[in-house]
Amino acid sequence: MKIAGLIVVLLCGCLLIYGTVDFPEWGDPASPASTHVSPYYIETTMEDTSVPNIVTAVLADYRGYDTMFETIVIFCAGIACIFLLRTYTHQAPETRLYRHIPTGIILRIKKGGKLPEDSTDFERVDLQWVPYDLIIKTACRVVVPFVQLFALYVIAHGHHSPGGGFQGGVILGATLILYAISHDLRTTIKRMSEKAVILLSAAGVFIYASTGALCLLFGVNYLDYSGLAAILGVDPVSARSHGILIVEIGVGVAVMAVMVSLYYNLSSVGKQDEGL
Amino acid sequence: MIQQLPAIIVVFPLVMSFFVVVTGLWSKRICFPLVVTAISVCVLSAGIILSSVINQGPIHYWLGGWQPPWGIEYFVDHLNAFMLVAVSLLSLLVAVHSKRSVEQELPEKRSQFWSLFLLLITGLLGITITGDMFNLFVLLEVASLSGYALIAMGQKKAVFASFRYLVMGTIGASWYLLGVGYLYIITGSLNIANLSELLPHMYQSKTVLVGFAFILVGIGIKMALFPLHAWLPDAYTYAPSAVSTTVAPLMTKVMAYVLIRVIFSVFKPYFSIEEIPATTILAWMAAVAIVVGSIYAIAQTNLKKMLSYSVVAQIGYIALGIGLANRFGLTGAVLHIFNEIITKGCVFAVAGAVVYKKSACNTRELENLYRKMPFTMLAFTVGAFSMIGIPPTLGFFSKLYLILGSIDAKQWVFVGILLFSSILNGVYFFRIIQIASFETPMPDYSRGTPYEKVPMDEAPLSMIIPMQIMAAGILIAGIFSADIVSTVIQYVIPEGF
Repeated sequence: MKIAGLIVVLLCGCLLIYGTVDFPEWGDPASPASTHVSPYYIETTMEDTSVPNIVTAVLADYRGYDTMFETIVIFCAGIACIFLLRTYTHQAPETRLYRHIPTGIILRIKKGGKLPEDSTDFERVDLQWVPYDLIIKTACRVVVPFVQLFALYVIAHGHHSPGGGFQGGVILGATLILYAISHDLRTTIKRMSEKAVILLSAAGVFIYASTGALCLLFGVNYLDYSGLAAILGVDPVSARSHGILIVEIGVGVAVMAVMVSLYYNLSSVGKQDEGL
Repeated sequence: MIQQLPAIIVVFPLVMSFFVVVTGLWSKRICFPLVVTAISVCVLSAGIILSSVINQGPIHYWLGGWQPPWGIEYFVDHLNAFMLVAVSLLSLLVAVHSKRSVEQELPEKRSQFWSLFLLLITGLLGITITGDMFNLFVLLEVASLSGYALIAMGQKKAVFASFRYLVMGTIGASWYLLGVGYLYIITGSLNIANLSELLPHMYQSKTVLVGFAFILVGIGIKMALFPLHAWLPDAYTYAPSAVSTTVAPLMTKVMAYVLIRVIFSVFKPYFSIEEIPATTILAWMAAVAIVVGSIYAIAQTNLKKMLSYSVVAQIGYIALGIGLANRFGLTGAVLHIFNEIITKGCVFAVAGAVVYKKSACNTRELENLYRKMPFTMLAFTVGAFSMIGIPPTLGFFSKLYLILGSIDAKQWVFVGILLFSSILNGVYFFRIIQIASFETPMPDYSRGTPYEKVPMDEAPLSMIIPMQIMAAGILIAGIFSADIVSTVIQYVIPEGF
């Protein structure tokens, strides 16, 4: 079977290489890919959309509909993960660990027993107990806000410089995951509940889809941001640039929320109780 | 608003899927009405689009207001519009049918289920309506991803079956994408209409050849054409019944539609038929699929698994019609896509109802079913007749066109296979009917009532009504099949056939 698989793979590889025989030259300026649609994008992006970054204009405006569904793919992955992993029948864990904060002593409570979660003297720690580490916790707490600020910058400047909703959203999500790793899952869920995460992931894609639908109300086609000129109070060309910013924000929110949601469910096998 | 319908039909269920997830956080009761509303709007818009296409010709819709090939275009002609109606109508019926079985099988995860269900429908409608090769891939991802997740929530073996489907499906999607990439590198365009203008100058190019081959193999995996079907039977058998009722009739058939698009719209028919013998190879593979699928179906003792192998065989019929590449053959293929959507929907809905009442659908559970669930089995009988091809069901007419097409192409082997496979279909469907009607315990004459009384134990009304509508649809569409051909399908046939 392995040999048969190898032969198939080799054959496919040969076919792939055979197809490249008639490829245009590498980097050839006269190749079809750079003469058919690209010149239009390069020459008219600024007049059409007033966006200096051509890649963003193609991504979020000319082919913005594809990008919307790429965001939907991410949303879909998040929902699928919740659908498959989340367990709602709550089973109390065998034992729980509590740390007495003033002394640092760890108490092991048998099944059924429980200390008040909101007690100021005790805090719950994970079973796979990691010793309290002041340096890591403090370092992450210091880093997180600055990284988040940078993430917002990446989202907001997507149409001027490299970046955009996907990249910014990933950075934003990573900060929350960093917080969860350096502290623990429960602390993060207390800051950002499961409901909030689902709500935000739906809200993010909703911002994208409803911006497009709003254009329908102004009598233009779906995702034709120039129709938003009336409510944004700008000319139709700048409206396209603003429209791109709005959908980039939507993408950022959705990507961030889905990243966090995936982490919540994967790290705790759907229990959202204890995790890495 | 009418001219915006092509966007609304895809975007409305999409937006509703967000609402379903969010409202599900507070109340799970609201989810189902939202789903029904969303799909009803789709059915309505699909109907209006179809009538407008029939009366005023094809619709071009530029997303974002950008002219193709720079932007993405929705292109709706008779074939798409007809598929849109079939897909949205069937998903509405399936949604109503699935309400109770979802409540039974996945009580706590209803909101996520319905959200993924809507995303699946969005993906399928989007694949059908789009006129852009890359947009098709993106929507294929949405449909497949939600499909994998939905299938994995079934019985114990479903996780493995779904993982296998995921691996195979991802390979298929990658092939498709590679092929599109090859076409893009040589033409610089992704728009289907634009590609079909640019490609004929390059038909001698090896890149086009390899790209075409990759796209065909990718679609072949996704539509489970023999021998690329291995993922299908387990995935459809172990999926929750609501899911197999949705995915089995729609997913592979939508991909069969994509195959027609690629062979006859993206490429000119003479390329697919003469330059390389793609259609001939397709027809022979299809012929093997019909025989092998039917024989495997006979060997099954589980109703759902038997129907899943039947999907493999029926996909063979459609591919055979496409491979014949003549007027009758293609008419038969399109009619058979429609027939498969409605008939497989019907019989899988019956399997779903049986699983709902008996929690399994092996041959044991089927005994005496005509007494216990007469209305359900009435629908099954009509569906089975259509699968076998007994007039006046739709299946008879689509097979008739396929046989006429084979005669037209002077392919007597295919005529023989089509007739032989009807007998095979008869064997496995009549076996179920026989078990369900005659396999009763032996009468015991020592008692006052020798025959044990079998109480009627029918599925709930929300399941029976959709099944009866589907069964009626099979008969009505069969009787009016000549009208379907003359108002819709004859415009699908490319020039020169």
